[in-house]
Amino acid sequence: MLLPKFEYHEPSTLQEALKLLSDLGGNAKLLAGGTDLLVRMKRKIDKPSHVISLARIPGLDEIVPRNGHSVTIGSAVSAAKLAGHELLSDRFTPLAMAAGRLGAPMIRNRATIGGNLVNARPAADLPPACMVLDATLKLKSASREREVLVNEFFRGPGETIIEQDELLVSIDINTPAPWSGGSYIKLGARKTLEISMVNVAVMLTLQSPDGSITDAKIALGAVAPTPVRALLAEKQLIGATPSEALFEKAGQVGVGTCSPITDHRGTMEYRCMMIEVLTKRCLMQAFERAKSWRPGR
Amino acid sequence: MTEFRVLNSRAPRVDAAGKATGRAKYADDLTMPGMLYGAILQSPIAHGKILNIDTSKAKKLRGVKAVVTAKEAGLVKYGVSPARYDETLFAHDKVRYVGDEIAAVAAVDLETAQEAVQLIKVDFEELPAVFDMFEAMKEGAPQLHDEYPNNITAEVHQEFGDTEAAFAECDFVMDHTFLNKRQDAAFIEPHACIAVFDLDGKLTLHTATQVPHYVMRTVAMVLGIPVGNVRVVKPYVGGGFGPKAEATPLEMGAALLSRQTLKPVKMVYSREQVFLHSRARHQFYAEMSLGMKNDGTMVALKNKAVLDGGAYTSFGIATVYYSGSLLGGPYKLKAMKYDGYRIYTNKPACGAQRGHGGVAHRAAFEQLLDKTAVKLGMDPIELRLKNIMTTGDVTINELDMSSLGMKECIEAVRNGSDWNNKKGKLPKGKGIGMACGFFVSGAGYPIYRSDTYHSTVVIKMSEDGGIVNVLTGSAEIGQGSDTVVAMIAAETLGVPLECVRVTSGDTDLSMDLGAYSSRQTLMTGHATKEAAEQVKKQIVDVLAHEMNCHPSSIEFRNGKVLFDGGPGDFRHIRTNYVKEHRGWTDPPTDDYLTFKEAARIAYLKLGTLVGTGKYKPPRLGGAYKGAAVGTSPAYGCSAQVVEVTVDMETGQVTVDDMTDAHDCGLAINRTSVEGQMQGSLSMGLGETLFEEVKFDSRGRILNPNLGEYRIPTALDMPNVNCIIVESNEPNGPYGAKEVGEGAIMPTIPAILNAIYDATGVRINELPVTSERLFMALKKKEGV
Ligand SMILES: Cc1cc2nc3c(=O)[nH]c(=O)nc-3n(C[C@H](O)[C@H](O)[C@H](O)COP(=O)(O)OP(=O)(O)OC[C@H]3O[C@@H](n4cnc5c(N)ncnc54)[C@H](O)[C@@H]3O)c2cc1C
Repeated sequence: MLLPKFEYHEPSTLQEALKLLSDLGGNAKLLAGGTDLLVRMKRKIDKPSHVISLARIPGLDEIVPRNGHSVTIGSAVSAAKLAGHELLSDRFTPLAMAAGRLGAPMIRNRATIGGNLVNARPAADLPPACMVLDATLKLKSASREREVLVNEFFRGPGETIIEQDELLVSIDINTPAPWSGGSYIKLGARKTLEISMVNVAVMLTLQSPDGSITDAKIALGAVAPTPVRALLAEKQLIGATPSEALFEKAGQVGVGTCSPITDHRGTMEYRCMMIEVLTKRCLMQAFERAKSWRPGR
Repeated sequence: MTEFRVLNSRAPRVDAAGKATGRAKYADDLTMPGMLYGAILQSPIAHGKILNIDTSKAKKLRGVKAVVTAKEAGLVKYGVSPARYDETLFAHDKVRYVGDEIAAVAAVDLETAQEAVQLIKVDFEELPAVFDMFEAMKEGAPQLHDEYPNNITAEVHQEFGDTEAAFAECDFVMDHTFLNKRQDAAFIEPHACIAVFDLDGKLTLHTATQVPHYVMRTVAMVLGIPVGNVRVVKPYVGGGFGPKAEATPLEMGAALLSRQTLKPVKMVYSREQVFLHSRARHQFYAEMSLGMKNDGTMVALKNKAVLDGGAYTSFGIATVYYSGSLLGGPYKLKAMKYDGYRIYTNKPACGAQRGHGGVAHRAAFEQLLDKTAVKLGMDPIELRLKNIMTTGDVTINELDMSSLGMKECIEAVRNGSDWNNKKGKLPKGKGIGMACGFFVSGAGYPIYRSDTYHSTVVIKMSEDGGIVNVLTGSAEIGQGSDTVVAMIAAETLGVPLECVRVTSGDTDLSMDLGAYSSRQTLMTGHATKEAAEQVKKQIVDVLAHEMNCHPSSIEFRNGKVLFDGGPGDFRHIRTNYVKEHRGWTDPPTDDYLTFKEAARIAYLKLGTLVGTGKYKPPRLGGAYKGAAVGTSPAYGCSAQVVEVTVDMETGQVTVDDMTDAHDCGLAINRTSVEGQMQGSLSMGLGETLFEEVKFDSRGRILNPNLGEYRIPTALDMPNVNCIIVESNEPNGPYGAKEVGEGAIMPTIPAILNAIYDATGVRINELPVTSERLFMALKKKEGV
């Protein structure tokens, strides 16, 4: 397969990129790692006449901690960098874990968090992780800037609220409260290089190591047109005393949030049953991590 | 045991440096001045009449140099087996699958060629299509080929011994059915070629093939060129596994376009086109019954096969014979009955793939044995050992096990896996399973009927005496055949491996049927050995004359010449040599006369030293119909033990450990043998757990890419404990026989038997996706 012809731009400032984006209107596409865009262009699904690279824009590929209370992740940070980042693994665990399960090493070196969110595939790995972390997305165009919650970002397969002239600059996440822990589980056929049949991200916060649950967030991927939060299941958990039975119950309730499809990767029936099992497992793992939470170094 | 200097070692591959540094050239790396690029138009529908083809717009596109359809290509029928030539280069009356070739274009660049293909307008009258083999067999099903009614490509009915009588004397009968799925071989290098016609009407075709010889014959036949005017040259090839063992429309199309334009034409399949061309493993349905005695003696086997072959025959006739014949061993049977049907459907044609025709039925049979062992309360290993064949046994369908280390293999994996401490003692969710299998070391007969040699080899010494040039038409496709050939030449001549240079894969060099049916080590190996012996004799005779000694007192070892085991008094030869070579930079100082000096002296006497070797198997097999399929001068065999963990909540299977023992006669190169073992197991693991080419309701492939057609990754594949068993095959060169395909035979059933051991659930349909296993576990819980 060959790439169609296009004009290539490599702006060296964000302003320049935003100007190009607004000047070129709908004819341009931003290029981050290219692991989605170039594939879509080769398949002639996307046919931009202009491609604007983010490669030379300073700062987009940085992870910046903000005094312990939050972290700012540039949109062009690679999955490899997310997966290998100590602070993220420690405090924002689902995101680091999900990034570690995205594709395979070569893909992780190129794939970016911004590309993953904007591409908005229902089975993508990073959206559920961002959702349980209550991430905020900073969107910028030549004329305006806005912040949106990741929970309000996705509209449908491949669709988000981002406008044609907007660029996703960064992802901001507040540091979860003490006694929080999270996890991420992905079910695919192989151990790596897989598109999720189902994926689950979880964050749990405990009152104390042996206390009740004060906050719970569950997000599920590949089970609906967009990744979804299992709000009813979360409700079951908040205020309750953690136990395997409780987590199992949450899994059963969680399924209610989902409307998975049957396709050649798996049937609806199986996906539903796996949502139950994996939600429970993921909660168990998150719980173990929350119990062993340590104050920051 | 013979002491070897080169053989049986772990010598690095002769192509290692080129491949590791990226210098090795594959077909798509080649370019030529003035080269054009070709593209193929393939059918978008699964079944339809072609009413009209309008190429006028394509021809007018700037940069297009030729557009060809059946009108230019002609309607010569071809295929693999002359008994079923059912393809033409381009479809003319109808198309039979999504992907059927209709036309081809040559243009100045690939973009233009691809654009031109889109401009060809084809009017179809769509016909009802059939995608399922059982549907295709039914009365009233859409018919693919008028010449082959009821969509039957071929049917086989064989009986050995008196099956009815044998079943009558059995204590009980076990039944089993099994269904695998259509495979893709998923080699890394898609097919690619460049065709060049010179002004004398001679064609040189550089192509990524396993079989330069057959490609030469087919291209010559289809394009009406004298065979002698076609030269096929194989650059390095990135894997074949079977689907590259026949001529492709790519090769014939490029050749035709080159003839039309008198320019070199390059053509490459995209990954999707590799899936569309297919010629990989069939889908098999197996149904079998095994008659047993209560003491564990196997008595008789009834075996039925239905194969989904896709739209054309390809290797299909051989495939459907193999599904029967390869169950003749390695266990003793009194009687065996086989009924096989190979069915046309409106999908890409299936052909040969590693373990040709045998893999699915072996999987079914070894699962059936496991079931039988459970019924008998017998250890599956004991059951097998009780019925095992040994060296010298002849199967009921007359396959001669001239060497068979089957028992040794079984014992090796039993010990190697610590079977006795694990079988029956693992916790729920963990399981251990085993299976056996065997395979040919080269088909006993060529694909077309002929008395031809299967392999010839030419060895030509460099005039300085230092380099042994081995010239062979055999095909190095990544499996290591060049290294095997070089090692056999070096061993035979008594020179270090570095002195041997192999040039291969060129039909102008020698006759060789190519890389399929695991034949080259044995057959090209024999021819190489004979050629080397001839060269050696010429040198020895000259030396004997010079030294005035008996030829039998001369020996070559590590590039030195020994006379009666010592250096001997060779001063006059060296003096002569040194005089000859004033100015050469390497005056010999060795305490012994060197092979190089000796070969140079012989050259001065005889001219260029050339040896030729040849090999064809003796007449093999029985006289019954189809007796040829399954015959071989030798059979490799193997046993495997697999350990798995099953996630009982999700159905996911993890293969934790694999222990494999393979009898390859003599391991020419131990590392290469292990490579074949590991590769086979990985391929079998993929087929068991992941792989399936899937179609939508209109016959379009849903997963024609390596993202969604899943082959195992490094993380899915455990380390393999490889145990090499060497039985010293009397019909093999230095005792060697196959490892390339036999090693895959036990893998699928060993994994399936391990899954049964872990879960109590017997899965008889591939692939064992987590969903399939989970649903089966649920169902079992339900009862
Ligand atoms: C072999 C393979 C395996 C894969 N495996 C997985 C997997 O396991 N899990 C998974 O989730 N995904 C997987 N993917 C998909 C892909 O790798 C990810 O979605 C990746 O994160 C995309 O990032 P990118 O930087 O490559 O995006 P690009 O391809 O560069 O861009 C994707 C889209 O986002 C837009 N975009 C990018 N950055 C911005 C921005 N800052 N602002 C606005 N728009 C932007 C682009 O214009 C484009 O439309 C796989 C892809 C391949 C090829």
